[in-house]
Amino acid sequence: MKRNGNKSAAPEGAVAKAGSSKDGRKSKNGTGGSAPSRFYGIALPGVRLEELSGSLIVVEGSDGSGRSTQIALLTEWLESQGFAVQTMGLRRSYLVGEDIDALLAENAVTRTTLALMYSTDFFDQLERRILPALRSGLIVLADRYIFTLIARACIRGIGRDYLHGIYEMALRPDITFWLNVRPEIAFDREFKKAQTISYWESGRDMSLSNDLFQSFIKYQSLIKREFEYLSKRHSFKEVDGEGSVSEVNRELRKQIAAHLGIRSTHYQPSHALSHLWR
Amino acid sequence: MATLPSDIPAFAEPAPAPEEAPESKREYPGALVVVEGIDGSGKSTQLYLLKRWLEIGGYRIHFTEWNSSPLVKSATRRGKQRRLLTPTTFSLLHAADFADRCERQILPLLHGGYLVLADRYIYTAFARDAARGCSPHWLRNLYSFAPIPDITFYFRAPLDVAVTRIVAGRPKLKYYEAGMDLGISLDRAESFRIFQERILGNYDQMVDTDNFVLMDGTVRVDKLQKQMRQIVAQRVNLAQFAPKSKKKKKEKQKAAL
Repeated sequence: MKRNGNKSAAPEGAVAKAGSSKDGRKSKNGTGGSAPSRFYGIALPGVRLEELSGSLIVVEGSDGSGRSTQIALLTEWLESQGFAVQTMGLRRSYLVGEDIDALLAENAVTRTTLALMYSTDFFDQLERRILPALRSGLIVLADRYIFTLIARACIRGIGRDYLHGIYEMALRPDITFWLNVRPEIAFDREFKKAQTISYWESGRDMSLSNDLFQSFIKYQSLIKREFEYLSKRHSFKEVDGEGSVSEVNRELRKQIAAHLGIRSTHYQPSHALSHLWR
Repeated sequence: MATLPSDIPAFAEPAPAPEEAPESKREYPGALVVVEGIDGSGKSTQLYLLKRWLEIGGYRIHFTEWNSSPLVKSATRRGKQRRLLTPTTFSLLHAADFADRCERQILPLLHGGYLVLADRYIYTAFARDAARGCSPHWLRNLYSFAPIPDITFYFRAPLDVAVTRIVAGRPKLKYYEAGMDLGISLDRAESFRIFQERILGNYDQMVDTDNFVLMDGTVRVDKLQKQMRQIVAQRVNLAQFAPKSKKKKKEKQKAAL
């Protein structure tokens, strides 16, 4: 499921649950919303911005912030509203996704190399999957985006300007949600889920602490500080990730609906996803 | 949706927190000598001979070449076989590969006092990736972590000479090697020639900006090698890389005399 971006878990019955009248959309101008998608700096070669009629919606947040859960639910909701969804996320490119997994497993990779492998992974997905999807008017839900990549590299001492220089050819999202949770809460959730904490999510390559809990908290706090800065600069929609799944989801739906011009934000997850709904 | 006004380049503003000094500005006792030039310019032969000269003399040297790490081999193979690489991902993949070599070999060796010889360096990416359509400015930033060489030899041969050397030695030009992804020409030999011509033009522009030492690739091999050795001896303090035990031996010998 990692490799293939089409994680759209549209189970049977999802469509029937579409609670809204008038089949969802009442868009201002097509599915694209009103703000055109743009690059931060120079455009990728061969891309005409006016062709990109879809919307790029990013969900950022640390592990344990509920990103994946929210994206699964949003996918179902959007599909029930008649929108086609494409997803993207870290290490999901065909080109280098598996290679990064292998590098992470070895723990031998150095910081610039890893940052550049992630950027290769990002641009491969952007150019070969996301841009075509946006040209076809799809809604792209990104499970993390350049902001995580920038934050992670930055706290490892790679210059901010350097990273911004690389990602200036990235597409600016229509909306970027930041599911903000305290590191302690993220720790509890992650530990409950996996019974342990991952090497990289606790930043153990940075020698912050020999104690796994301390290391995790310190690392996530550093990331969070980067995000606070990025949030201001890139106008993130900050969402309290400590709320219940349904509360967070309602907030996300409200804002996405406003962007897409959908009137009703009513949603009840299908049976297949009801276990996520707490 | 309160996205930033589109005319404000959000990334161009100054960063708030102080950052670590870029890697390239760090001081180290080693030295870096690189060769650049288009395929068939004779650079690899000349660097090989330089390496042999230094090896035989017992100097502390390390030889490294472009695109040699196992890190990106599978990705490069995958990308090339299926022709998935865009100018951007092609460039990033090579940059990742170079970063791996730089961080795990070149920089530690320079800090450890080695004379590092590199067959192709960042200028290869500047010349080739720009010929593919990447922004030169973007490329410069991408490789800004690389240490600046002490000497950059640029081997220049006329396009015809270089192309003839390559085409004669190779049964078939590969897709990306020939620049077929640019869609210049359906004929591989012709595409290769035009691609190399663009690269050559980009190299020529860097002679002044990047202090290249221009080497005439049409000069006889041994004569050219003699020039190269002279320049290295002038511009690099070779004594610094000579084995210490030898020095001591020599001193002892002198003392004995």
